[in-house]
Amino acid sequence: MLKPTGLLGVVLAVVFLLPPGACLAAANNKILVEGSTTVIPIVSRAAERYRSIHPKVRILTKAGGSGVGAHAAGTKRADIGMTSRELTLHEIDRYKSAKLQTHILGKDAVAPVVSSEVYQTGVRALTKKQIGDIYLGKIVNWKEVGGPDRPIVVIDKERHRGTRHVFMKYILGDAEARAPGARLVTGSNNEEQTKIAQSDSAIGMLSFAWINDQVRGLGLRDGDRVIEPNLESVRDGSFPIARNLNLVTAGPPQGEVKGFIEYLLGPEGQKIVEESGFIPLGETHR
Amino acid sequence: MEKGILVMLRAFTLIACGLLVFVLSAAIVRGLPAIDAVFLTAESKNFGLEGGIFYQTLGTLILISGAAAVGLPIALGSALFQTEYLRRAPRLKKSFRVLMDALNSAPTIVFGLVGYLVFGAAFGVSWLTGAFTLAVMILPTMQSSMVEAFEALPETYREAGKSLGMGRGAIIRSILLPQCFYGAATGLFLGLARAAGETAAILFTATTFSGVTIPESASDPATTLQTHIFTLAQEGLDPRAAENAWGAALVLLTLVFVLLSAAMWIRSRLHWESAA
Amino acid sequence: MKTALLNSHSENLRSPMFWAVSTSALIALVAGLGLLGFLIIESVPVFSRQGLGFLSGTEWFGPDEFGAWPMIYGSLATAFLASLFALPIALGSAVYTAEFLSPKPRLAVKAAMEYLAGVPGIVYGLLGMTLLAQWVRNVFDLIDGNSLLTAGLLLAVMILPTVTTLSEDALRAVPRRYRETAWSLGMNRVATAFCVSLPMALPGICGAVFLGVGRALGETVAVMLVIGGLDRIPVPWFNLFAPGQSIPSKLGREAAEALGGGYHWHALMALGLVLFVLALSLSLAGRWFLTRQRSA
Repeated sequence: MLKPTGLLGVVLAVVFLLPPGACLAAANNKILVEGSTTVIPIVSRAAERYRSIHPKVRILTKAGGSGVGAHAAGTKRADIGMTSRELTLHEIDRYKSAKLQTHILGKDAVAPVVSSEVYQTGVRALTKKQIGDIYLGKIVNWKEVGGPDRPIVVIDKERHRGTRHVFMKYILGDAEARAPGARLVTGSNNEEQTKIAQSDSAIGMLSFAWINDQVRGLGLRDGDRVIEPNLESVRDGSFPIARNLNLVTAGPPQGEVKGFIEYLLGPEGQKIVEESGFIPLGETHR
Repeated sequence: MEKGILVMLRAFTLIACGLLVFVLSAAIVRGLPAIDAVFLTAESKNFGLEGGIFYQTLGTLILISGAAAVGLPIALGSALFQTEYLRRAPRLKKSFRVLMDALNSAPTIVFGLVGYLVFGAAFGVSWLTGAFTLAVMILPTMQSSMVEAFEALPETYREAGKSLGMGRGAIIRSILLPQCFYGAATGLFLGLARAAGETAAILFTATTFSGVTIPESASDPATTLQTHIFTLAQEGLDPRAAENAWGAALVLLTLVFVLLSAAMWIRSRLHWESAA
Repeated sequence: MKTALLNSHSENLRSPMFWAVSTSALIALVAGLGLLGFLIIESVPVFSRQGLGFLSGTEWFGPDEFGAWPMIYGSLATAFLASLFALPIALGSAVYTAEFLSPKPRLAVKAAMEYLAGVPGIVYGLLGMTLLAQWVRNVFDLIDGNSLLTAGLLLAVMILPTVTTLSEDALRAVPRRYRETAWSLGMNRVATAFCVSLPMALPGICGAVFLGVGRALGETVAVMLVIGGLDRIPVPWFNLFAPGQSIPSKLGREAAEALGGGYHWHALMALGLVLFVLALSLSLAGRWFLTRQRSA
């Protein structure tokens, strides 16, 4: 057995010598991508395929939301930040020194979504005003909008989330509007999707890619017209809650980061964008 | 009346112990179907829906061993300092104990935030930052268990050493450490178990979700069972996610319980020896 | 400190063991004081700008408005619920284990409690999200199961082993001769347990509860998944079926977007400081009770 004093010495040496050593070893082929949970499926899938072409490059992804993506890129904690919205004025001002650059990866849209139980009773579309009143707490029961006699479980998202920004900007006219009618606040798309599915009377907001049998998208009613929540109405520009999915870098991308972003924006990457349920570049407003 | 109360008390005890059975059986029933050779040895794919938890398990092991490697000597040293060098300064001894109690009571998320600030400044979000953060977190756990062991050693041992002309250093080396080996080992395993079950302290300091393999440098992030479950728990809608989350939970529970059992087994030997 | 250490044994200074041991003690000291120090330093901008208004503010709406009261309320409410639910079961099983069980089953209960205390918080989170939240919704006929009550129930399970084990220790510490006296006076075992042992162990049991509540305050991931995440005080304030937010859950949800700097970060660190101070005072009070028990 090592003598205790010797052991202590070794550990102290490790503790005090590691920082310089770690800094030397830090320059390696690792790309850290952090942020929006809408964008992360695209990047994760792309990373798995990119690795088979470039085995030396390691791409690490971490979810957190668009605000986290902007913060991570702005503070250079991550090499690439993912955002599913535009940077806010506050963010642009705050990370001025990082010279943030945005690279558009594809297009997506956000729909109001409800628990399938509500959808089945006939609530298929709502007006902007109705949705706004639900989030403001003025409408509290589904029967007020033609649904069953059940209180509405209003699901809001954390304030920095990209999905919330574009949704609230359309519904209430302010990307960071307060929602006093909310009952729950969720984070990632997956968390919100799960909570809506677990409930039988919930409303929330989700990217089209998260709509399924248990979580149904609603159309937007405008007079007699109903705009259906499908990619077709996003492609022809009629669905109003559309947005770009972005990658954010501090300054122009360099080296391996540049290579990966070019892959994502190229034909291979764009195919993954489409497979993941989003609209690739150059396909809108035809 | 007396009988009734007794029945009630027994029921409460059964409820308390039943909770353990419940948690365990929930993890086994829901997690066991996920576990096979592939699950344990493959890397996770497609957002944890497919593949396994190899690098997550590895990450948890790396973090706890790192935390123990850093924390153990410090815990051992400060426990010896408290029991041996502060013998004639009861006030200082008490203050030192209060400080360790205070550290023990700190919420783990606070370790995570401050750990990011301090160790993260040196290594970024990495396994090493996580290991240091966890080391500070489990320091009081290990330390208090070691202090208990040293204080349980009868005074006659130290006096015998002194009468042989040994200095304090020699007494620690040749008497205390060998005699209290089991006590120190108990502390170590309790600390490891606590570190293995911790999520909040490593959420911001050490982990990313996907793409992690074997760390190549000190600044590489890790991925762990705890954070993997945390992410999958929010995807409960997909039955594959739920199954994999429970599978990972079962592996994590097994790891923690093995470490705890080791601690308890060593401690029982300790009592057995001191009784003999 | 130096004088107290060195006058008595001057051999120390030359011994490598002394240096090794005191260096690690110094590191431990720096770790403990550093934790508190960093929290205080990082919170200064918040308290100097908002003063105590930070604690009483009810709106948390960045980038400029940060009020901690809903989170403080949520933490206290869930911790209170946790102790309320855990106490009867913990006390009941502690009395039964300490007073009525023979050594072997007693050790088995103690071991079970130690395992239960070791179950990782995230496993409780998973249980809470997939089972407990649904269960609470159905049993209490709520519109949604994510609530202060759900978080309180989950925390009750998490602190149960701590409270049970420490209460049991306190009961066992009551000298046997008191029980024997009571028995010889014709008191039955149940009456002895409740009228003799329990009152004598009261300080220790108080300590157990304080330490348990202190632990409940700090739990992050399990609470985060079931509390609802709403930074609002329920209306009426005692409506514990409503969703809420606790301090650690808030930190866990928001820290990633502010890590490292900016006023938002300072506000989160101030929140962390408030949490630490709450947990610390409870834990120190708990330890004080426990030492009183021991010296009694």
